[in-house]
Amino acid sequence: MSKPADLVQGTLDLLLLKLLAVEPLHGWAISLRLRAVSGDVLQVSEGSLYPALHKLEQEGWIKAEWKTTENNRRAKFYALTRLGRKQLDLEASNWQRLSTAISRVVQLSEA
Amino acid sequence: MKMEHWWFTAPLRLKSIFRRGRAEQELDEELQFHLEKKIEEGVAEGLAPEEARVRAIRAMGGLDQRKEEIRDARRIHWLTDFLDDVRYALRSLRRTPGLSALVVVTIALGIGMTATPFSMLDGLIFRPYPVPHPGNVVTLVSTSRDNAYDSFSYREYLDIRDHTKSYDGVVANAGLQSVGFASRPGETPQVRGGLLVSGNYFRVLGVEPTLGRGFRDEEDRVPGRDAVVVLAPDFWKREFAADPSVVGKMVRLNGVDFTVIGVAPESFPGMFIFMRPDFYVPFAMAGKFSTDPRKNFFVDRDDRELTVRGRLRAGTSLREARSELAVLARSFEREYPKASRERGAAVRTQFEMRTQDSDVNWKFGVIFTVLALAVLLVACTNAAGLLLSRARTRTREIAVRLAIGAGRFRLVRLLLTESLVLALLGGLGGIAVGYAGIAALDTFTIPTELPMKVPFHMDLRVMIASLVLAALSAIFCGLAPALQSTRTDLWKGLKSADGEEPGRARKRLWGRNALVVAQVAMSLMLLAASFLMFRGFRHSIGEGVDFARDAKDHVLMVRFDPRLVQYDTARTELFYKRLSERLREVPDVRGTAYTQNPPLGLDDFDRLAFVPEGFQMPRDRENFASMMDTVDDGFFETMGVPILRGRGFRTSDDTNSPRVAVVNEFFASHYWPNQNAIGKRFRLDRSDGAPVEIVGIAKAVKYRDSPVGKSIDFVYLPVAQHPSARLVLLVNAARDPLQMLEPVKEAVRALDPNMPLLETRTYGDLYRYSVVEGPGVAVKLVGTLGVVGLILAIAGLYGLVAYNVARRTREIGIRIAIGAKPVDVLRLVMSKGLLLVGIGAAIGLVMGIAVERLMNAMLFNAGGVDHLVYLVVVPAMVLVTMLAAYAPARKAAHIAPTLALRCE
Repeated sequence: MSKPADLVQGTLDLLLLKLLAVEPLHGWAISLRLRAVSGDVLQVSEGSLYPALHKLEQEGWIKAEWKTTENNRRAKFYALTRLGRKQLDLEASNWQRLSTAISRVVQLSEA
Repeated sequence: MKMEHWWFTAPLRLKSIFRRGRAEQELDEELQFHLEKKIEEGVAEGLAPEEARVRAIRAMGGLDQRKEEIRDARRIHWLTDFLDDVRYALRSLRRTPGLSALVVVTIALGIGMTATPFSMLDGLIFRPYPVPHPGNVVTLVSTSRDNAYDSFSYREYLDIRDHTKSYDGVVANAGLQSVGFASRPGETPQVRGGLLVSGNYFRVLGVEPTLGRGFRDEEDRVPGRDAVVVLAPDFWKREFAADPSVVGKMVRLNGVDFTVIGVAPESFPGMFIFMRPDFYVPFAMAGKFSTDPRKNFFVDRDDRELTVRGRLRAGTSLREARSELAVLARSFEREYPKASRERGAAVRTQFEMRTQDSDVNWKFGVIFTVLALAVLLVACTNAAGLLLSRARTRTREIAVRLAIGAGRFRLVRLLLTESLVLALLGGLGGIAVGYAGIAALDTFTIPTELPMKVPFHMDLRVMIASLVLAALSAIFCGLAPALQSTRTDLWKGLKSADGEEPGRARKRLWGRNALVVAQVAMSLMLLAASFLMFRGFRHSIGEGVDFARDAKDHVLMVRFDPRLVQYDTARTELFYKRLSERLREVPDVRGTAYTQNPPLGLDDFDRLAFVPEGFQMPRDRENFASMMDTVDDGFFETMGVPILRGRGFRTSDDTNSPRVAVVNEFFASHYWPNQNAIGKRFRLDRSDGAPVEIVGIAKAVKYRDSPVGKSIDFVYLPVAQHPSARLVLLVNAARDPLQMLEPVKEAVRALDPNMPLLETRTYGDLYRYSVVEGPGVAVKLVGTLGVVGLILAIAGLYGLVAYNVARRTREIGIRIAIGAKPVDVLRLVMSKGLLLVGIGAAIGLVMGIAVERLMNAMLFNAGGVDHLVYLVVVPAMVLVTMLAAYAPARKAAHIAPTLALRCE
């Protein structure tokens, strides 16, 4: 059984922001979406999901709103704010640079 | 962090703080939703509902842990923790209500005692000028050998205004002590006090009138042209019932019509501590208020009456302004050697102006504050002792908390919060005590019709200072006990309520012993200081006022100023002469007299410039100065001022006879030591001035109401040879002086029905204010400080000693069990207490003597160290200590050893 890759430190914020940039979601939907999009490679423990969301909310990057779901249940939906959009751009470009740099290192041909 | 960020996050934090319940509820709901979804998923996969639930919770890693993490994400846990601490502190303080109340009362007394003197200090020194940017406003003073805070003359002011570059504007004002004011022509004038000001006064100070406008520069340009007046807010309310249509109306000042052009704002009661001017008129109108026909305000360079202030230009330093003015002063000296000889000039800040060496009021303020702080310190020591004993009994509770994982820092914070709560309660109580004290200061009024006010009140500044003091004392009282009780070793603390291990015990005892020593020392110093002040005041109250024994019950004073009804000098003299002739015929009148300002009077005495004949003048001096009064032939008898040698004035001492003077004993011995001054002469103003012969030597009396009596030179001149328009009539009657008012009014009416009686009061009023009430307030204040300090110190001392002994119950039990006698135990315990008191007394003695020396040097110039204080107080302290040690020691000594050993 292959062990899912540990979530690279600090990338959870980026993932959450990106997911919410697509559309507002509630916590459960986020955990489902994470699993689906990353094809089970990235497993976010449900325990760390909510503290992370609340931290983003307190930073002012996402905002929460209570809405009813398709099944007529009340749920807390998170959406990206203007400030969060900036943060997403920043973290995305950071990630790009980091991953490019790492893949270059990895692709070094061995003599 | 970026501004924008705060813009978004601040509301979120506030929401977390104020809608904490709602946030918690939403958090529950959110996590619940997630769990339900997860359970649904599990059930769909075929798990039993219960199993699915367990799996769901496990996936979350525990619900409560997550909630705690999320709460931390809100970043307000410091606050919620604090609120929890406060709640907890209140609960735990309620558990020991007696002790908590004691601490609160102790701190309240300490803080309250400081609030009153601080309000004095604030009023006298620190309260800024009531103008925008008061920090830039500096005072320019002329300096001479005798006076480092002298005023400038009008000409000098003009030169300064036009030739300095350091200021955005230079303003000046001169006091108008008594002006006849009538709100309508034809109305009898009342005496009022105002201010002559430069045309730029309001503009430069930044004072915007609430009604109308301030002066324009051109209104201060041509002497006598623009008769305009700005009213002060209080005056406007009092005299015109705050009528806004007053602007544009005419009022009469000294018989001249002035147009009201504005009303100064409520926020600007004037630039002085005590004096509140009623109105402001431009300098150009000074001629209408001149009191001395020999002087010309606009011309004389040595007629120095102006207080000059400047607003420092931005970027100009005080030092630059000072050197600029010094250069200007040197050019004055060169150009006008006569008027400006030996004169410099200086720029002084508000603080420097208010802490002049010659002014005693602020010094008393400082001394009161220091004494009050000493009381506060004693109170804090008490509170610390109480909290310490409280903390000790909680050792076990604290040990349990430490054992189950509370951090030490967190616990110290909790304990400090407790003392903070106590201190804030105490601070609030202290504000109440302070209010009472300040109200007591406010009850006495200055007996004058001039607008004077006692400037001490409880304002926001005093309150904030009190609360800050309370918070500081919380830290002071609470920190040591908190640190100490959280240092407990767990196993010791858990085993007994009052665990003590040998090595550390010594250290702990040391702290408590230091408290006892400090308390004894502080209270001794406090007592020595208050006792000295008490004695000093009592002494100065009784000094030099014997003369008034008769006058205070029999003399009526009425002030006249015939200039208010346009009398010239000859008519004025005639009026005064006729008036006293008439009154001397009234039955029961034992005598009448005139004076410019009676002894203890509230006006400033005039100064006489003179050169004593046959006296070697110092080379750099042209003349000497002395305080003076002009009086008539009835004065010495009517007032009760004894003539020691020679004679008083006679009716024959008039313009046709040689000039004469009566001087007081200090004056005589100052210039003619060991000689008979009778028959000696001095010259007026200069060595070639008019000669005046000394015909009598009067006993020195107390001339001013200053609480500090100093030997002052004084000269009396006969009013017949030195006419003065503004005089006080003194009527000495065989019955109640107020009953003489009607006969006086009748006599005045017969001479001129329009003549206003400016101030009528009995000499007793003045006497009570100057001799009884004014110093009485100080005596009461000092006495209260001393007594409160002593009570606090004795209570604290008793508590600490008794507690120290009670804690040794087990040890005493052991001693008794192995054969010690009760007497031995008593001796052991007592000797320890007495040793501490002895050390404290020794330190207190040294501090007390130092303080007494200091205060003697600063204020009283009299008396050595007061041994009586120590003779009374030290034995009292020893007695208290013995009592405090005796009761618990006796109890411990008589307790059955088995009980004592079991005692925790």
